This record gives sequence, C-alpha cells and structure tokens, in this order.
Amino acid sequence: MIVDSLKRGLAAGVVAGLAYGLFMALVGNPLVEHLEHLAHHDGSHGHDHSHAVSDLTTAIVSVGSGVLWGILLGTAFGVAYYLFEPALPGVGSTKVYVLAGASFLTVSGVPWLALPPVAPGTEQALATDVRLAIYGGLMILGATICVLSIAAYRSVQDEYGRFAAVGLATTPLVLCTIPIVLVPTNVLTAPELAGVFLWLVAFGQIALWAVIAGVYAWLDRRVDSEAPTLNDLDDTATGV
Amino acid sequence: MAETETVHDRIVHARSEVTPTAALMTVALAAALGFTLFFLQDPLAHDAMHNFRHAAGITCH
Repeated sequence: MIVDSLKRGLAAGVVAGLAYGLFMALVGNPLVEHLEHLAHHDGSHGHDHSHAVSDLTTAIVSVGSGVLWGILLGTAFGVAYYLFEPALPGVGSTKVYVLAGASFLTVSGVPWLALPPVAPGTEQALATDVRLAIYGGLMILGATICVLSIAAYRSVQDEYGRFAAVGLATTPLVLCTIPIVLVPTNVLTAPELAGVFLWLVAFGQIALWAVIAGVYAWLDRRVDSEAPTLNDLDDTATGV
Repeated sequence: MAETETVHDRIVHARSEVTPTAALMTVALAAALGFTLFFLQDPLAHDAMHNFRHAAGITCH
C-alpha cells in the first residue's frame, strides 16, 4: 500500500516536474538571465559570478533540476500521504489538497517569511551557511505550525462544526511572526523587479504543489473507483 | 478504510510491507537528490543550477 502511494506520488511528481521544467525553460531561465544582465550592468555590487560553466549548461541543468525537484517533492508527498492520511481533515481529495498546502508552507512558505526568494543581483547580509541553518529551522517551524493547525481543527470539528474549526486552525499561524521578528533583515540591496521576481517564484512553487496534488488525487480516485469495496463518499461528486 | 485507521496503524502497516533495506535506500536516494538540489556548493554544481535555485526560491545562493 505504501508502495502504491509512493508510485502515485512519483507519477504526480513526474508530471509536475515536467511542467515545472517547462516553466524553468520558458520563464525561470530567461528571467534570471535578464536580471543578472541588469545587475552586472548596474555597477560593481552583487555577488560577482565568475561562471564555472557556460550559460547554456546552466540553462539545461536548471531545467533538469526543475524536473528532479518535482519528482523529489512528489515522491516524498506520496509517502507522507500514505502515513498521515488518517490524521488529515476532510473527505476524499480534500485531504490531498490539505497535505499539499501544508507541504508548501513547510518547504517554502514559512521559511520565505524570513528568507524570501531573491532576484539575482541581490546583496544579502547573512552568509550562506547561516541562511541554510535558518532555512532548515524554519522548515521545522513550518511543519510544527501545520501539525498544530490540523490538530486544532480536528479537536473541535465534531463538536462545534467546520467554521469554528477553521477559525481555531488559524491560531497557530501567529507563530509565523517568529521568523519575521527574529531574523534580521537580510537583503541589503534589492535590484529592480525584485518584487515581481518574488511573486513569480511563489507562483511557480504553489503551482508545482497544485499539480502534484491534482494528479495524485486523480490517480487516487481512479484506483478507488476500480475497487468498489472501498466506501468512498464523494468520488463522482467532485469530478475531475 | 480510512475511518478507523490511525497514523500509528499506517506506520505499522508500512513496516510490515517494506524491508528496512528498501526503506533506507529510498530515504538515501531522496536525501542525495535533495542535498544536490538544495545544498551542494561546489562551484560547478552551484553555477550549473544557478537559475533553478533562484527560480525555486532556494536560499543557498
């Protein structure tokens, strides 16, 4: 069973990874190169890149990395979904989307509160090692927030209804202020288009998780409909 | 089937299905892939994945 779930996650990851690779090729690569170009012409600041490889290599490897990124996340998602499914709120596909949302917050969302995605040419105050440590710590914080949130939802859902449960589930989000308050301002100089870049990166990651969840849920429903012994409640109602 | 099961059941179930070796290999593969994409600072790897790391919001840059 866990192997089946892993396979579904892997398949979802391949689909999402290919889509993300395409996004890298069409949007990510040109945008990063363009911003880099701007930064280099802008003056002497920024991390000066003496490129160890050609631009073409960077472009190709970056697309490949995007595909692998999707596969890694999808596979991890499949395993996590099998293990945590009983604890997730909701019915049917809702569970898949809840876990995907929690995954996004853990892997990207919460860490970004302190260390948002930076455009090329940004000067950062903190050293790479320090940033990696902070990022890791914030991933743990993100996971903790999601667990608390889901636990809060489950504890009141039956007694007080869904709306009260959703309300209570938002309270752990106050922990999000920890990274905002405690991590010192990292970015020294933000280049042009930094804001646009941030939202594009965020869009990319959210879309990646949405595709993983969508494909996973679809595969899951298909398996369920082939095995009518499983009493599924809302399969046909949710559609594809 | 989901109604009565708990996370603990799932872990027990998974343990009976998957050998420790297979589980370890899967985790090791995932860790290797994650390390390469996220953390590897070797100039060759770093520069080759440069665009990806920026576009995915990975901080080691």
